[in-house]
Amino acid sequence: MSFINLKDITVSYDGKVDILKKLNIDIEEGKLVSLLGPSGCGKTTTLRVVAGFIQPKNGQFICEKEDYTYIPVHKRNFGLVFQSYALFPHLTVFDNVAFGLKMQKVDKKDIKKAVEEILEVVDLKGYNSRYPKELSGGQRQRVALARALVIKPKLLLLDEPLSNLDAKLRLKMRAEIRKLQQKLGITTIFVTHDQEECFSISDKVAVMNGGLIEQYDTPEEIYTNPSSEFVARFVGFENFIELDKIGDNIYQSKSGVKFITDISDKDTKTKEKLVGTIRPDNIKIIDNENEAENNILEGIVDVRTYLGKEYQYSISTEVGTILVNANNEKIYNQGNEVKLYLPANKLVLV
Amino acid sequence: MKGVFNMKHNKGLTFFTVCVYLFIFAPVVIIIMTAFGPDEVIAFPPKGFSLKWFVNIFTSDMFMKTFSISIQVAVIATIIALIIGVPAAYAMSRFDFKGKGLIKNIFFSSIIVPGIVFGFSIFNFIIIKWKLPIYTSLLIGHIIIILPYIIRVVASSLEGFDYSIEEAAVSLGASRLKTFFLVVFPNITSGVIAAFMLAFINSFNNVPISIFLTGPGVSTLPIKMMSYVEYYYDPTISALSVTLMIMTIGIMFIVERTLGLSYFSK
Amino acid sequence: MKKKWFYTLLIPGLTLIIVFLFIPLIYTIGSTFIGEEGYSFARYIEFLKDGYYIKIFNRTLRIALITSLVCMILGMPVAYYISRTKKSVRGIFIACTVFPLLTNSVVRSFAWMTILGSNGVINKLLMNLNIIDKPLKLLYTESAIIIGTVYLFLPLMVVSLVGVMENIENDLLEAAESLGANRIKAFFKVIFPLSVPGLIVGCVLVFTGAFTAYTTPQLLGGNTNIVLSTLVYQRAMTLGDWTGASVVATVMIVTTLTVIGVINKLASRLNERGV
Repeated sequence: MSFINLKDITVSYDGKVDILKKLNIDIEEGKLVSLLGPSGCGKTTTLRVVAGFIQPKNGQFICEKEDYTYIPVHKRNFGLVFQSYALFPHLTVFDNVAFGLKMQKVDKKDIKKAVEEILEVVDLKGYNSRYPKELSGGQRQRVALARALVIKPKLLLLDEPLSNLDAKLRLKMRAEIRKLQQKLGITTIFVTHDQEECFSISDKVAVMNGGLIEQYDTPEEIYTNPSSEFVARFVGFENFIELDKIGDNIYQSKSGVKFITDISDKDTKTKEKLVGTIRPDNIKIIDNENEAENNILEGIVDVRTYLGKEYQYSISTEVGTILVNANNEKIYNQGNEVKLYLPANKLVLV
Repeated sequence: MKGVFNMKHNKGLTFFTVCVYLFIFAPVVIIIMTAFGPDEVIAFPPKGFSLKWFVNIFTSDMFMKTFSISIQVAVIATIIALIIGVPAAYAMSRFDFKGKGLIKNIFFSSIIVPGIVFGFSIFNFIIIKWKLPIYTSLLIGHIIIILPYIIRVVASSLEGFDYSIEEAAVSLGASRLKTFFLVVFPNITSGVIAAFMLAFINSFNNVPISIFLTGPGVSTLPIKMMSYVEYYYDPTISALSVTLMIMTIGIMFIVERTLGLSYFSK
Repeated sequence: MKKKWFYTLLIPGLTLIIVFLFIPLIYTIGSTFIGEEGYSFARYIEFLKDGYYIKIFNRTLRIALITSLVCMILGMPVAYYISRTKKSVRGIFIACTVFPLLTNSVVRSFAWMTILGSNGVINKLLMNLNIIDKPLKLLYTESAIIIGTVYLFLPLMVVSLVGVMENIENDLLEAAESLGANRIKAFFKVIFPLSVPGLIVGCVLVFTGAFTAYTTPQLLGGNTNIVLSTLVYQRAMTLGDWTGASVVATVMIVTTLTVIGVINKLASRLNERGV
C-alpha cells in the first residue's frame, strides 16, 4: 500500500460538469510527484482535494492507511505553499513561520529553536523581524516554504509556487526546493504547467487533461514514450501521421508509405488505427543515395525558420506537413526536394 | 459543494447577519405598512388599506411648499457645487503641486466639522452679523456641505485617467478649455451624474444646516417633518417617509447605473 | 502664469470654504473668548464647573461610545459575511446597506418612534400578549437614543469594513487553516488584524457622527435627554443665547477634532507595520 492513495476521486462544482473524473493515483513515501497539465485540466483541484479545501463527490483520499477524505483542513497537518505565497502581511517573518507551531501549542522555546533552524535552512537567517512587504519575491517564497516545512508535515503541497518569479530565480528556486525535499525526505505533490520545470525535479509526473490522468510515469518515460497524442503534444512531439496496422510492427500511411516501429504503449499496440509521431529533432534529412525502404518520406521544403542553434524546416509531404529540425551543416532552400528518414526507434505510436 | 468559490459560510454567521438585516429593515417595513393604514393613530399591524395619508401630503400646502423648496435648494446647490467642484476635482487629480494635501483637507473640512456646529456658525455669522437673506445662506450652507461628495466622486472617476488624450487634443489644435469639454468631460459623465445624485440626496436630507437656516417662507421638508412629528402623531409622516424612500430608491438606481453601488465599499 | 494656471480651478472652491466655513467658525469660536474684561477662558471654566453641562457632555460621550462599540460588534461579523459572498449576491447586500444611509434621518428616527412609543409596536405587542398592562416608557430615554443612533450608523460601519475585508484574500485564510487554525482562530488572528484600518475609519465616522447627531436625539430623546447638539440648538433658538451656544459648539468641535487626531495617530502607527 503506498503512502498516498487517491481512489476514484470525482469532483464537480455545480453538480453537472465533473472537474475530476474518477481520478486514481498512488504516491510513494518520500517522492516528489508533479501534476502537469494545461489550465483547467484539474491539477489544482486535485491538490485542493488532498489539502482538504474540496470534498469530492465520490472517492477516497487515503494517507498512511487512514481515510483523510473528510478530515477538516486544520487537522491534516499538510504543508501548503500557495502561488501567491499567502504570507500574513501583519506578521513578521518569524511570526509567519511560527504560526503553525503556535496552533499546535508548541512551547515558546521550542518554537524559537525550530523557526531559527528552518530559516537558516532556507537561507534567511537574520530576517526574523522583517515584514513580508519588505521582502523580494524570492525571499517571500522561501518564507512560505519555511512556514510549510517547520510544522513537520506528512505531505508538502505546492501550487505553482514558482510562477511569480523571474526566469533566473525560477531555475535557482526549483533546484533548492528539490534539494530540500530530498534532504528531508518529505512526500511532495507539485502542481505546475511548465513541462521543463516539472521534468527537472520530479520522481514521477502525472500528465493531466480534462480531469483525467493521461500518463503517470517517470519524466524519462513520458519524454520518450508518450502514451497518448495529448501527452505527446504536451512534451514537444510534432508530426502526427495517421497509420494503419498491416503486420507485426509494420504500419502504413494512407498514401502507402511503410513504417516500421516498435515503440508504443501496451494498449496502443492492440489498436488497428494509430497515429505515429516523432520529434522534429529526430528526423534525418538524407541524400538520395540512401536505399532504405521503410520509414522514408519524400517532400518539398516550404518554409525555413532560423532558430539560432539550428534550422526548422516545414516540409510538404504526402502525409501532410512535417517539421524537421536540422543543424546548419547543409542548408536547404524553399522548393528543394528532400528525403526524410524517420528512425524506427524514435517513431512513437499513440 | 463547500469551500469552492468562497469560504464555507458558518450557519451561525449567516443567522447573525440575517438578524442584523432584519433589524435594519423591520422599521422600514413597519413604516410602509402604517402608511397604508386607515386609522388616525399609527397602528401596526394596520387594520385596513387606505391611501388617505398620501392624499393628505399632496394636498397639504405646507408639505408641498417645503418639498418644493427642498428640491429647489438641492438642485441649485448641486449645480453650483458641480460648477465649483468638477474643475477642482480635475485640478486635484491631474496635477501634483505643493500644498496639495492642505488644499485637499480644506475641501473636505466640511465633513470634519460637525453639521450642527457649521449650521450654527453660518447662522451666527452670516445671518446675524452680515444679514444675508435666509434663502441665500441656506444655499451657501448646502453647497459647502455637498462639495466634498462631488469632489470625491469625480476625483475617483478620474483616477487612472489616461491624460495623454489631452496632449493629443492639444497637438491637434484644441485650447485647454476646449480640451476639457471635448475630451475629458465626456469620459467622466457617469461620475458626474453619480456625483449629482449623491450630492442631491445629501442636500435634500440635510437637517443640521437647514434647521438653523429657516425663516418665514423658507423651510426644508425634513425640518417641517421634524416639527410636525413633535406635535402631531399620525401616519401622514409615514406616507411622506414612503414617498421619500421611493425617491431614494430612484436615486440609488441612477447611481448604480452610472457609478455602481460598489463605490461605497471602496 | 501659464505654469500654474490650474490654481484658478481651485480658487472658487477654496474661497467659498474659507469665507463661509472657516471665517464663521473662527468668529463663533472666537466670540466665546471675549468677555467684559477682554480675552479669557472664563466661559469654559464656567462650563467645566457647571454640573448641568458636564452631565450633558458625559451623556453625549456615553451615547457616542456605546454606539461605536455596538456598531463594531454588530458590524464586523456582518461585513465579514458580506465580503465572503459571491460577487452577484454581494451587490444586493451592498444595496441593502446603502439604502438606509441615503434615507432621511428624520424618517429613520421616526420609524423608531413608531416602534418604541407608548402606542408603538412593542408596547402594543406586549400588551396584547398580556405580558404588561401599562405601556413601558421606551421612548424619550437614553436607550432610545442609542438604539436610534446605532440604527443610523451601523450601515456606515458595515460599508467601511466591507471594502477592507474584501481585499483580504482567501489565500490567507486557507494558509491559516492549513497551519492548524480553525475558523474562529483564523478570524481573530488573520481577518481581524487586517481589518483594523477599516475598523478605524468606521469608528471615526460612527463616533463623530453619534457625538454630533441632532435629529435622532431630538426625536427619540425629547427634552429630558439633551445632548450637546440639541443643547446648541436650544441655547441659540429657544433662549437666544448666541454666546452660550457658541461655547457648546466649540466644545463639540474640539472634542471631535481631538478624537480624530488621536485615532489618526494610532492608524499611522499601525501603517508603519505594513498592515
